[in-house]
Amino acid sequence: MKLSRTIRLSLHILAAHKLRTLLSVVGGVVGVASVILMVAVGRSAEASVLARIRAMGTDMLMISAAPPRLVAGRERQGEIVASLLPADVSVLRDECAGIVRAAGAFDKSMVARHDSSNVTTTVQGLAPEGLVIRGFALETGRFHDDDDERTRRRVAVIGPVVAVNLFGGRDPVGLPIRLGTVPFEVIGVTSARGADANGVDQDNVILVPLETALRRLFNVPHLRTIYLQAQDSAMLARVEADVRELLRARRRLGDGQVDTFKILNQATLLDSQRQTARFLTLLIGSVATIALLVGGVGILAVMTMSVRERTREVGLRRALGARRRDILVQFLLEATILAGLGGLVGASLGLLGSALVGASWSVAVSWPTVVTAFCTAVVVGLLFGIYPAHRAATLAPVAALRAE
Amino acid sequence: MIELVDVTRRYQKGSITTDVLKGVSFRVAAGEYVAIMGASGTGKSTLMNILGALDQPTSGHYRLDGQDIAGMDDDALSALRNRKIGFVFQQFHLLERTSAVTNVLLPLIYRDEEMPDAEARSIRALEAVGLGDRKHYSPGELSGGQQQRVAIARALITDPALLLADEPTGNLDARSGADVLALFGKLNDGGRTIVLVTHDRAVAEHARRIIVLADGRVVADHPVERRRDAAEAVAAAAAGTQGDAATPP
Repeated sequence: MKLSRTIRLSLHILAAHKLRTLLSVVGGVVGVASVILMVAVGRSAEASVLARIRAMGTDMLMISAAPPRLVAGRERQGEIVASLLPADVSVLRDECAGIVRAAGAFDKSMVARHDSSNVTTTVQGLAPEGLVIRGFALETGRFHDDDDERTRRRVAVIGPVVAVNLFGGRDPVGLPIRLGTVPFEVIGVTSARGADANGVDQDNVILVPLETALRRLFNVPHLRTIYLQAQDSAMLARVEADVRELLRARRRLGDGQVDTFKILNQATLLDSQRQTARFLTLLIGSVATIALLVGGVGILAVMTMSVRERTREVGLRRALGARRRDILVQFLLEATILAGLGGLVGASLGLLGSALVGASWSVAVSWPTVVTAFCTAVVVGLLFGIYPAHRAATLAPVAALRAE
Repeated sequence: MIELVDVTRRYQKGSITTDVLKGVSFRVAAGEYVAIMGASGTGKSTLMNILGALDQPTSGHYRLDGQDIAGMDDDALSALRNRKIGFVFQQFHLLERTSAVTNVLLPLIYRDEEMPDAEARSIRALEAVGLGDRKHYSPGELSGGQQQRVAIARALITDPALLLADEPTGNLDARSGADVLALFGKLNDGGRTIVLVTHDRAVAEHARRIIVLADGRVVADHPVERRRDAAEAVAAAAAGTQGDAATPP
């Protein structure tokens, strides 16, 4: 029997029994589409997490005053939290070779008012260099500068969420705002940037000059955070070590004593986030793989039923001179065509779905996954086609012809 | 042409053995038109399966066109069925939703050699059974008689040594049955060897010779003295009488 003729005949039979064909293809379609889509979604999430962290700067270090420690079941605060000082900023900038920028910050949750509206948001005093380190961009207006800092001007740059909540659709630049009881003037609105790596909304924030915040708003002499920018991300680990040594020396911490501050390394954060995202991709990928297997079982079920339904056809073909292997080849071929068809349609749907899910689909779609999913579908179809094909081929022609 | 020598067939189901054929012997020469008759349970179907090389005798010999099928393996039997035997079944056994042309050329796809003219041959075979104008119809669009004629065209496309028909009129009304028998008569007049298996004497009497089976043995083997004329049967059926089917045996 010529293969091309067999293929033509198989295609013809599949086309003639559209519902049966459709039913057997559906499993493969769903399986392949879900694998591609799920992996794309996972990779999209991974890519967006990484993009978010990169936007914050992969060359950034954050020093925070250590959180309260538990001693004998009680929180001990006091001098530990107050230990991070504005003086540390200039010392770090001057004495640490790898550091290009450094900025102190202090933030606190406050109520902001304009006219009759008020919102609770995070007010952060941030030195102008900090705006650069953290990569804020402006939608309208201007940032506060060294001049504002020196004269402790009461000016505020607000995040887009705050702008909407307090001012509705109006342009807030030049309008008055009260932080607690202190009057400020809005000078700028930052561009939307979403949540940071810790899930904190960076758009729901009010940025004011650090000196203004410390002296006129919070009345504290210390900082909560210092942002540092290294020359490049490769130097981050060395800079971190230098910073630690310097701060420990300034605090006169002995060898046995623990740090009274905490250094957050953006690269470390990036790594752990990447791992989480990978794990997520793997997880949903395996769920989708199960879907693919279920699709294969679907093919098995439909093929088995189809063989039963087509017993007389098998008998007829045997009577007309088909050998066992002709029947076997025919059913395997049909299974492969079905699986391949399912794989193709599934891949198209998966790609389409991925394109719809993320505008950044070129990042998300993993071509190895598409190829693997398609090949898996075909192999599963072929494997699961073997059993019914074998059953069909070994039927006794006489019995098959008389089957009802 | 066909030679059966002391053919037996024993079925084994668990501990129960049944001897369905108990030593059947006869010859059929080329160009003969033989009806094998018998009530159900007489081994008629089993004999038909053996004649069609769908089944092997338990003992004895069956020679078809010079080849002894005893001891042939499955592939050889398949090839033999493909080249030497044309089957016509009671239930037509056509592929659904498949055109008459494709149905008819089905035996040709199980040949190793290229068949570039398969479609043309199929159309010629359909024309020979009077269905040249229905070649692209699928079985669902054809009447029972037309479907059986498609099946006959399929049986003839390989130009087989033996046309083997199993109750070919069993599922047909009198008129269509008469049509089919008329076609068989014409084919036999053209030299085609036909073996027809039936329980119906009226059908059997269209043949030239009748072999009667009872209890797994040949109990009668005689020529048909007064052959029925298929053309008359067609006319009778057309005139509204019940024709062959109602004629008492």
